[in-house]
Amino acid sequence: MEPLTWTGAVGAFLNPVLGIAVTLLVVALIAQLVLGLFASPTTLQANPDGTLAASGGILGKIETAMKYLFLAVIALILVYLIAPLVLPYGMVGIIGEMSQRFLPVWIALIVTFTISIIYKRRLGLYGKLFDSTVGMIGFGLVMFWVFTALFVSVFDLIATHDYLTQVSGLKNKAPGVAVPDGTAGDIPHYLLGGDNLARDIFSRMVSGSTFVIAIAPLATIFAFMVGITLGLPAGYYGGLLDTILSFVANLILAFPVILLFYLLVTPEIVQTGIPSYMAAFLFVFPLIFFGVLLNSRYYTQPQKRTAILVPVLGILGWLYLSVINQKGTVIDFLPAWFDLFDITILVVFVSVVFVNAPTVFRIVRGLTLDLRTRDYVAAAQTRGEGAWYIMLWEILPNARGPLIVDFCLRIGYTTILLGTLGFFGLGLSSESPDWGSTINEGRKLLLIFAHPALPPAVALLSLVLGLNLLADGLREESLKD
Amino acid sequence: MTDQPILEIDKLSISFFTRLREIPAVMDFSATVMPGEALGLVGESGCGKSTVALGVMQDLGVNGRIVGGSIKFKGEDLCEMSPERLRDIRGSEIAMIYQEPMASLNPAMKIGKQLMEVPMIHEGVSEKEAYARALEVVTDVKLPDPERMLKSYPHQLSGGQQQRIVIAMALMSKPSLLILDEPTTALDVTVEAAVVELVKDLGKKYGTSMLFISHNLGLVLETCDRICVMYSGEAVERGSIADVFDEMQHPYTQALFRSIPLPGADKNARPLVAIPGNFPLPHERPDGCNFGPRCDYFEAGRCDAGFIPMEPVPGNDRHQSRCLKFQEIDWNAPIQVSDTKEKPEPGPVVLKMDNLKKYYEVAANALFGGGDKKVVKANETLSFEARESETLAIVGESGCGKSTFAKVLMGLETATDGAILLDNQSIGSTAIEDRDTKTVADIQMVFQNPFDTLNPSMTVGRQIMRALEIFGVGANDAERRARMLELLDLVKLPRAFADRMPRQLSGGQKQRVGIARAFAGDARIVVADEPVSALDVSVQAAVTDLLMEIQREHKTTLLFISHDLSIVRYLSDRVMVMYLGHVVELGSTDQVFSPPYHPYTEALLSAVPIADTSVKKKHIVLEGDIPSAMNPPSGCPFQTRCGWKSKVAGGLCEKEVPPVRMLAEGHQIKCHLSDAELAEMEPVIQIAAE
Repeated sequence: MEPLTWTGAVGAFLNPVLGIAVTLLVVALIAQLVLGLFASPTTLQANPDGTLAASGGILGKIETAMKYLFLAVIALILVYLIAPLVLPYGMVGIIGEMSQRFLPVWIALIVTFTISIIYKRRLGLYGKLFDSTVGMIGFGLVMFWVFTALFVSVFDLIATHDYLTQVSGLKNKAPGVAVPDGTAGDIPHYLLGGDNLARDIFSRMVSGSTFVIAIAPLATIFAFMVGITLGLPAGYYGGLLDTILSFVANLILAFPVILLFYLLVTPEIVQTGIPSYMAAFLFVFPLIFFGVLLNSRYYTQPQKRTAILVPVLGILGWLYLSVINQKGTVIDFLPAWFDLFDITILVVFVSVVFVNAPTVFRIVRGLTLDLRTRDYVAAAQTRGEGAWYIMLWEILPNARGPLIVDFCLRIGYTTILLGTLGFFGLGLSSESPDWGSTINEGRKLLLIFAHPALPPAVALLSLVLGLNLLADGLREESLKD
Repeated sequence: MTDQPILEIDKLSISFFTRLREIPAVMDFSATVMPGEALGLVGESGCGKSTVALGVMQDLGVNGRIVGGSIKFKGEDLCEMSPERLRDIRGSEIAMIYQEPMASLNPAMKIGKQLMEVPMIHEGVSEKEAYARALEVVTDVKLPDPERMLKSYPHQLSGGQQQRIVIAMALMSKPSLLILDEPTTALDVTVEAAVVELVKDLGKKYGTSMLFISHNLGLVLETCDRICVMYSGEAVERGSIADVFDEMQHPYTQALFRSIPLPGADKNARPLVAIPGNFPLPHERPDGCNFGPRCDYFEAGRCDAGFIPMEPVPGNDRHQSRCLKFQEIDWNAPIQVSDTKEKPEPGPVVLKMDNLKKYYEVAANALFGGGDKKVVKANETLSFEARESETLAIVGESGCGKSTFAKVLMGLETATDGAILLDNQSIGSTAIEDRDTKTVADIQMVFQNPFDTLNPSMTVGRQIMRALEIFGVGANDAERRARMLELLDLVKLPRAFADRMPRQLSGGQKQRVGIARAFAGDARIVVADEPVSALDVSVQAAVTDLLMEIQREHKTTLLFISHDLSIVRYLSDRVMVMYLGHVVELGSTDQVFSPPYHPYTEALLSAVPIADTSVKKKHIVLEGDIPSAMNPPSGCPFQTRCGWKSKVAGGLCEKEVPPVRMLAEGHQIKCHLSDAELAEMEPVIQIAAE
């Protein structure tokens, strides 16, 4: 088999066209910047339908030209992505084949966007996201990786080879290298080349997404539960409770994060059981949160409350016990049949929740301080509502805007944090395909072979960028209301 | 004076552009301001009066554009000026004063520096001269100790002082036109009176023309020469104050006057007439007359046929009306009194305050809690009774302790001393958690700010049902839902509102939901904390009437907290006047509103602007601001601002807190003045014989 080039046979004539279009776009952009310093500013003009449009002068013309050039560039890029679906294998090179592998993701994205845009007026804040370009781009990037993780882990699509199999002779080979005949795999090439143990980089990258997509949101949710459950009373009651909790939060925030991680995963520390006890402490908060949430809402109707509270707390309690109960640690008392699962990366989980919770705590506390002065809170107090009802049902829902935005940003931080943990090899096995570990592997020979480290780095970058853009879009749209 | 107008607005139309549509904010607006003249611009919120001001300043933001007409300033068209020329004019020739004084001052700069900037930038004068000018202007706005003022930061001044500084800044460059956008809305009544007085005097002294924007007709009457009434983006009537107030020629102006409580209005004999319907949204305006759908004189096929121009009213000077039928309407026809209501007899005493005291301890050093503790006396020996189906008004300016009193009554705070007796059971020292459901449901509250009173993320029905759940009303959800719908009927809201979110409701509608929620547990005592002060005039009347009606039906005791004496006079049976935690006067409405007064009541009455040209008012302007409750004056709390202090011999006012004296049956007063002096007092408000 011939090795694949980046754009294959089609690229031979598409590449120059794209090159020209991009050059023109850059020239127009520079012209616009330079002329913008001298030319008269564009004037705003009203369209007959009442909307506004900018127009006038040479700047207006450049703007129109740029619009068309930009559309042309987008159209050409789309050709690279769509052509491989109809052309035979290898015609559009590595790019085409990668696009082909991601086909299920493309379909899922198109379906999601079509449905969401059609029904966006009925979908609340989520629907409003589709009014903001930035938000849509962010959402697209995030959903790209979410779908990738889903298809790789559940349906075993996308990945071309097994991410652990080493194929002799492909060590550090460049992207597009052909695999020897008889190697197991969906296609006869390593699309993004081989790493220093001769494994397929493309497959490792897409498999690595599962780790991040599964852990980051879950860990962030736990951090939010802890932060909210402690932040609300701190802000609502104030006084000594607030002073103590804020002090503890500051203490945790002041401690160097990486050092904390090193300590938590050190075998000696694990032996003492500190991480297990921390897990037992931190993971009990969701139980408290939901218990108080439902009880404060339904305590006036005891029958209804019991009917709801018992199953919810039962299931949550079971999950809680299964999570904290680990074989071979200090907390190991459940019979095996009762223990649902063992989480091998519990330490990673604990550390991420531990360092994120104080920041969430401070945000929630600040929002509560502001919201508790509202008249509807006073109205609740004057009809004799309990403190927890006021906190969870009157204050928390109205703090949701900033919290949702922070949630998106925080998943981004967590993703980077997981990358950092992987990079230092903390709590993860050495052959794990997660992005942090792969970047660390690739880093060692970076000057000679750059290609093993770049794909996971770009993946990490695009996911975090997507989360930040999504947060920006949400913030922008939630303010418009 | 020359004949050239200072400001000439001709057929001005301003629109805001959004992604969806063009929203016309001002349409076909014309106005002329002659030198030295003050023009009042009156209308409800959203009618476009502030947009006109911003249009004059050419500060409409990116979305706003002038789509027609012209604005001429001294003959020069403002719309065609270069940005440089505009910058030159703003602040030097045209100055603007905004509603919120704190937002108009730079908090990081000393007052003197901010004032000196104005002539230094516009006229390039030296720093020394600018300082001298600043000192002069600050003296002109009657601020005490001008030199110290110039050295202080904005946060060190009170709201009234800040607004004076803003006025001083506007006057620094001796502008020919001053635009005032609700300059006193954020201030207390007595402070407002002083600021209005100042603006009037300075306008005369400097010969400045003024564009005075306000929703308060009384204020415009006191300050302006001419008035322009706006409704939904259009000027509907304009003319001189006397013409418009006495010979109104537009149905909206008439409806507006009928919905505000003027002296003579009475809740039983002559109730207020609310304007039916709602203010139209800018993009849902009807064809023809904007006021048509709410107008009593509406004639289908004529009033909704097309554009209606401003027509001059014959016989009056520059008096115009935008109504097709103004010459056909009999403007002197008396109001059709719907039905006179029986005045309900007050029942037995339900609530009794006995020497109630509430003190707060404030640590001098907040960080470590050490040092001396200061005591803030928020409520000092409060004693009164409230009877069933009686309205007791509690009147006072901010900081007088009325909110603290409400908190103690509701049980959010406990009393330091004294007792609150509800049906002869003491509840003063019982916090709300320890009160039984019945007591909690009996005492409920209606809040001031309609935009804050409902939880924005819960449906209206859900919020009322929650109150029902807490008060133990109904056996199951179905029963409670039925009761909730009944409550919506009670406050005259459509039942469909149960599933709406609060943001879909207007201010008046939200306030109605707030009232429904308060009556969920059949409350017997309702504390209404300025329930209508944040609403528009036409909505105020409707909400007030609703409260009165529910009160008549349910025999509720209403504690009506307010600083608006017009509305207090209209609806209350008894009035309690508070100042710095003390009850200075308590009596029936007639007793309090006629002499003899407590000096503070007298000042309050004189400060309230009344929109009636036939009313003659005694003019009393209080010096200075309300003292801080942290550091109250010795002796009588009011002695620092009292105009009658010199009449009491031996400086008694500064030494002793005056005792409570009974002047007549049920009329008590806290003052050192002798009976003879009190008897000499003249009435503040006199209605001229017609």
